[in-house]
Amino acid sequence: MNTLWSWIVAPLAYGFMQRGMLAAVLVGILCAIVGCYVVLRSMAFLGDALAHAVLPGVAIAYLMGANLLMGALVAAVVVALLISLFSRKGTIKEDTAIGIVFAAALALGVALISSVRTYAVDLTHIMFGNVLGVSPTDLWLIAGIGAAVLLTILAFYRQFLVIAFDPVLAATQRLPVERLRILLLLLIALTIVVSLQTVGVGLVAAMLVTPGTTAYLLTRRLPTMMMVAALIGAVASISGLYLSYYVNIASGAAVVLVATALFTIVFLFAPERGVVWRRE
Amino acid sequence: MNTLHIEQEPAHLEIERLTVAYGRRRVLDDISFRVEYGERVVLVGPNGAGKSTLFKALVGLVKPQSGTIRIHGLPPGAHTDCVAYVPQREDVDWRFPVTVADVVMMGRFGRLGWLRRPTRADHAAVERGMELMGVAHLAHRPIGELSGGQQQRVFLARALAQEPHILLLDEPFTGVDAATQEATLSVLDTLSDQKATIILSTHDLSLAAVRFERVLLINRRLIGDGSPAQVLSRGLLTEAFGGQVLTLPDGSVLVDQCACHQSEPESIAVK
Repeated sequence: MNTLWSWIVAPLAYGFMQRGMLAAVLVGILCAIVGCYVVLRSMAFLGDALAHAVLPGVAIAYLMGANLLMGALVAAVVVALLISLFSRKGTIKEDTAIGIVFAAALALGVALISSVRTYAVDLTHIMFGNVLGVSPTDLWLIAGIGAAVLLTILAFYRQFLVIAFDPVLAATQRLPVERLRILLLLLIALTIVVSLQTVGVGLVAAMLVTPGTTAYLLTRRLPTMMMVAALIGAVASISGLYLSYYVNIASGAAVVLVATALFTIVFLFAPERGVVWRRE
Repeated sequence: MNTLHIEQEPAHLEIERLTVAYGRRRVLDDISFRVEYGERVVLVGPNGAGKSTLFKALVGLVKPQSGTIRIHGLPPGAHTDCVAYVPQREDVDWRFPVTVADVVMMGRFGRLGWLRRPTRADHAAVERGMELMGVAHLAHRPIGELSGGQQQRVFLARALAQEPHILLLDEPFTGVDAATQEATLSVLDTLSDQKATIILSTHDLSLAAVRFERVLLINRRLIGDGSPAQVLSRGLLTEAFGGQVLTLPDGSVLVDQCACHQSEPESIAVK
């Protein structure tokens, strides 16, 4: 008993580990809830693209010595608006627009970062996260932006539900469908930005999609799906960090691997919907 | 208990010289008609005649190229809840995690506005809608688990929960069972008694002839408008359906139409 307790408490003796743990749990919950819409509206590719597209913003902030999160924030908002602008004109398909914007932004980001001497280390941190480098300021920023995103999701719950489920009804009820779509895009962008520190650009898409999909297999209504997804996100973040501490592997990767393991178990054994129970 | 309350004066509908085009292709051409409140109108015509487009124009989903639509004397955008529209069922994501009661409650959202929470009256309207369509026992089932007919009933229940003055139904009988068709028709009778205006489109000309007092026959243009006896005549049907019309030796007319989203053709006889 005592050994288990000390096993749990030992990593938390360090301030950076406490902050990392808090940040990881906040991000895990936030990504999971926002991710429910990403899953239901089949926007996984968009999420991944947005994540890569924030790279030039981070790079410019780094070069200017500004706050990296702020740089990412500006870039994410710009890219979200660009994608919605391209796809709205209807001349090119949305996934093509996303593909072009995301690859271009990634290239710009790598080009900018490669001009710095410590290129490899910095790029690795941005691509795969560095949860142990979370400063108290970062933590406040994560908590503040996260709370704002969740409050917005809660306030417009009904509107987001209708535009996701039945766009025709949304239009007949005179909801501003286009503006709500952009708002959702911005919320996803903000979520990605605050996730950069914990899981990084390369893996944030997994945190958006995996807990939501796992919860989808276990629940039948959107509110419960969101709660279960949040729980899965939090559990994956905590266990991932312990795994990272004791097995000595990269924290972002550990979190994503735990989430994927949970998904695999549910995919196989979910009541009624699990592959194992289904007879065809 | 099984009644719907219509709070305001029911609306009338005026369509004047309506023309709708997708790109350069005219889908509706110079259509004018007027529907008084409480009237029950059936809309018929061949595939691609513009029936769905007419409904979409009426709820403001497509913008007319020219012409005007007035509901209660106001343009369609001025109302958020007095027109209920039941589109064809393919438009919805059936794997979405919502229950029957959730879907029916969506009919109340237009009334609730942005932030107000559903009241007891909203829940009562949802309950009534589900009971009228016989889906109250399915209230907590996810919609993905329902049959085609049950899904159609849920969407009708949602339209009823909206307590509309004008109800637009686009092909509600395509791919549903006979029981759902009967349930729908009897609800329409109840609504007519309460002076709700109903416009319904269908492929089924014999149903149109038997269950409706006014028929609109369209094929891009308005070809016929009047009682079934006036409109479903050989001359007008030939004008609308062209080569799909056959005259049998006994003088009855047969219209052979292929529903575009169904593989097998249906034949409908009209005396």
